[in-house]
Amino acid sequence: MKRRDFFKTLTSAVAVGAALPVMSFAAETKKHAGPNAFSYEQALEAITGGKEPKKSSRAHLKVPEIAENGAVVPVTIEVDSPMTADDYVKAIHIFATKNNNVRCIDAHLTPANGKAMLATRIKLGGTQEVAALVELSNGEFLVAAQSVKVTIGGCG
Amino acid sequence: MGKMQSLIKIKPKKFKDGEIVKVNFMVMHPMETGMRKDKKTGKIVPAHYINNIKFEYNGKVITNMTVWESVSANPVFTTYMKINGKGKLIVTFTDNKGGSYEKSKKIKPKG
Repeated sequence: MKRRDFFKTLTSAVAVGAALPVMSFAAETKKHAGPNAFSYEQALEAITGGKEPKKSSRAHLKVPEIAENGAVVPVTIEVDSPMTADDYVKAIHIFATKNNNVRCIDAHLTPANGKAMLATRIKLGGTQEVAALVELSNGEFLVAAQSVKVTIGGCG
Repeated sequence: MGKMQSLIKIKPKKFKDGEIVKVNFMVMHPMETGMRKDKKTGKIVPAHYINNIKFEYNGKVITNMTVWESVSANPVFTTYMKINGKGKLIVTFTDNKGGSYEKSKKIKPKG
């Protein structure tokens, strides 16, 4: 399937409902045997539906300035939020903006998490910005990004 | 359901009911991107990665993660969880090859 057609399918899925884009991604990628090539812009658009995410000091993204080993780069994202039923972080998405597949992880949280935090380790193919997109229960999107210098690329 | 080496760690080890604890989930998995060439055969190693992890506590979904191949091999995932009574934390995870696995941990708050 051509990238353009794939993106069209995704955009129509976004129009139908917020929950669907992630499921469509999963359904589509199961068909492909090889790598999933999504750009940062495509991934952002699919999740926000075109809504502009705001840079916010509420979103704390922690990544190393220099990663000696691109295969294991620690990423932590913490968001200031009461995590109550009326006001909580719905999702945290992490992107490696220059990787072949920029999507790293989409964590869907609930008030039962108590604290909005996600930490993991990702592979970076080279020096690039790592971005975190935060979805709030009120429909707002926050974004935080930081550049990581990679001396040895981690994608093999 | 298949077997895959994984571990659930709760921090702190002793906690009260209603406390917010750290949940570490670790899995032994190659997380192959499908872009790496095997140095011996010269062939592309097929993509093989964990693509979904669901954390459930007493039948309620706490966290649901879609995971992609950019996550490191033998991945670790850290989140938080508010303890609500005693019970069982069940982590169900799948990979892109259709494998489905489960790991659980009994949770007993004290006080």
